[in-house]
Amino acid sequence: MMDFVSSFIGLIPVTIAQSLILSFVAIGIMLPFRILDFPDLSSEGAFPLGGVVTGVTVAAGYDPLLAIALAVVCGFLAGCTTAFIHLRFRINTLLAGILVLTMLYSINLRIMGRTNIALFTYESLFRNLGASWANDPYFKTLVVGVIVFGVLALLYAFFNTEKGMGMRAVGASPDMAEAQGISIWSMTIAGVGLASAFSALAGSLMAQSQGFADVGMGFGILINGLAALIIGEVIVGRKSIGRQLLAPVVGSVVYYQLISLCLTIGLQPGDLKLATGLFVLAMLAAPRLFGGSSTSIAGMKN
Amino acid sequence: MLSVKGARKTFYAGTLDERRALDDLDLTLADGDFCVVIGSNGAGKSTLLNAISGKQRLDAGSVTIDGVDVTALPVHRRARYIARVFQDPMIGTAPTMTIAENMLLAELRGRRLRLAHGLTQRRRQTYRDRLALLGLGLENRIDAPVGVLSGGQRQSLSLIMAVTTEPRILLLDEHTAALDPKTADTVMQATIRAIAEFHLTVLMVTHNMEHAVRYGNRLIMMDRGAVHLEVAMPEKAGYTVDSLIERFHVKTDRMVLQA
Repeated sequence: MMDFVSSFIGLIPVTIAQSLILSFVAIGIMLPFRILDFPDLSSEGAFPLGGVVTGVTVAAGYDPLLAIALAVVCGFLAGCTTAFIHLRFRINTLLAGILVLTMLYSINLRIMGRTNIALFTYESLFRNLGASWANDPYFKTLVVGVIVFGVLALLYAFFNTEKGMGMRAVGASPDMAEAQGISIWSMTIAGVGLASAFSALAGSLMAQSQGFADVGMGFGILINGLAALIIGEVIVGRKSIGRQLLAPVVGSVVYYQLISLCLTIGLQPGDLKLATGLFVLAMLAAPRLFGGSSTSIAGMKN
Repeated sequence: MLSVKGARKTFYAGTLDERRALDDLDLTLADGDFCVVIGSNGAGKSTLLNAISGKQRLDAGSVTIDGVDVTALPVHRRARYIARVFQDPMIGTAPTMTIAENMLLAELRGRRLRLAHGLTQRRRQTYRDRLALLGLGLENRIDAPVGVLSGGQRQSLSLIMAVTTEPRILLLDEHTAALDPKTADTVMQATIRAIAEFHLTVLMVTHNMEHAVRYGNRLIMMDRGAVHLEVAMPEKAGYTVDSLIERFHVKTDRMVLQA
């Protein structure tokens, strides 16, 4: 008994550092889903894309900051592709996302030329900033925490600008947005691109944090991110743009602690996807089963 | 000035369901015209509005606003000229955004959105003043999401959003049809006041014969995608609902019922 408590507590710092990195995936899921009303799966492909691009760039001897920038740009382009496929060919957003993430698997493999790269011996953001503390979870938490805070502040400011409100209007009422002169095309492409850029940023930071990039590193990340988002929305709500932005981060921190707890009490890692899937299903189904009041959790229309 | 020339639009062309929604329609509105459009269901009224707003592309013909040919422009590129109040109160506003945010987007209609903070104190005050004109108390709720408002309140907000930005053309698409009679009347009164105050050029589609008789300086009846009949002032002033129905041989049950 004491055994699992102490090992769970021992894992808390590591898990927090990881969950902050992965909160960018939850942000990348939230933006299209909640702001643009564009349920999107691209993050499942954009996350490993970010990791792979970072791996190749760092292994080639370039600066980790350049690697992060390249990862973000590639993620952005991936998201733009999904949005374009939906807008141009009227293909359902989820299907457009599946197409992109499937194609990205091949592209990720091509970029890397093999299934994984070890990065332990190369530079990383954490190593460059912290030298000997590079692997200290508290130090990682600090570094990633600052980035998360900065991104949230920027997003909050953006969604209160004229342009940011235009983007929100596209999701809230496309007819109204269009009638006010807002281009649904450009807002959707920019917004979904931005979301995938965040997922790729998460992949980049993750590769640098764990010391390797792997084409399979994104497997199931979407459902994890969605679960995190839903938990966050239950905790902080989504009534204002500030809360909506905070939800994925808070949710991510809580969700990965729960996962860590499950693992320390002896659940098999392989069972977690089933557990997470059932959890997400339950949360999305709850309003249908119990009616009315909890619809905001699932956020389904009607 | 709005000018629609030789507008043609056919739905389901080449099938058994082929329907000619606009058939060589011509319509010109001079500045300050308030033109009411009536006609039975399927006469092409909505298609006409959609063709003007850009929602519907024409098969042939042209739409010109203030001498600019906008025929090839999509909805959002025409928005600088046109404001529209939809029939469905849910469509004309963004429900999850606040009243002030909705009004901001309306104020910026057709302009380039900047990366600058949107709701400045000065703007918020302007919006409060504009909403006060409605007398609904909305000026004290500008940070409430529009989704919590009633249909009538939302439609009044849509109207304020459309008119206070002084569009070149105001399109009213049966904008009181979804409201209860009392609210419809309030919204209609506000509409008339605003049109007069801002000297707007208006195209209003309605099924309400009472409104058709009472408001506007021109009245057209559409039938099978064309302007079937037109009356203008001063002749229009002499019309009553009864004489209008007689003159236009109104056939549809919906119009007879509402008359």
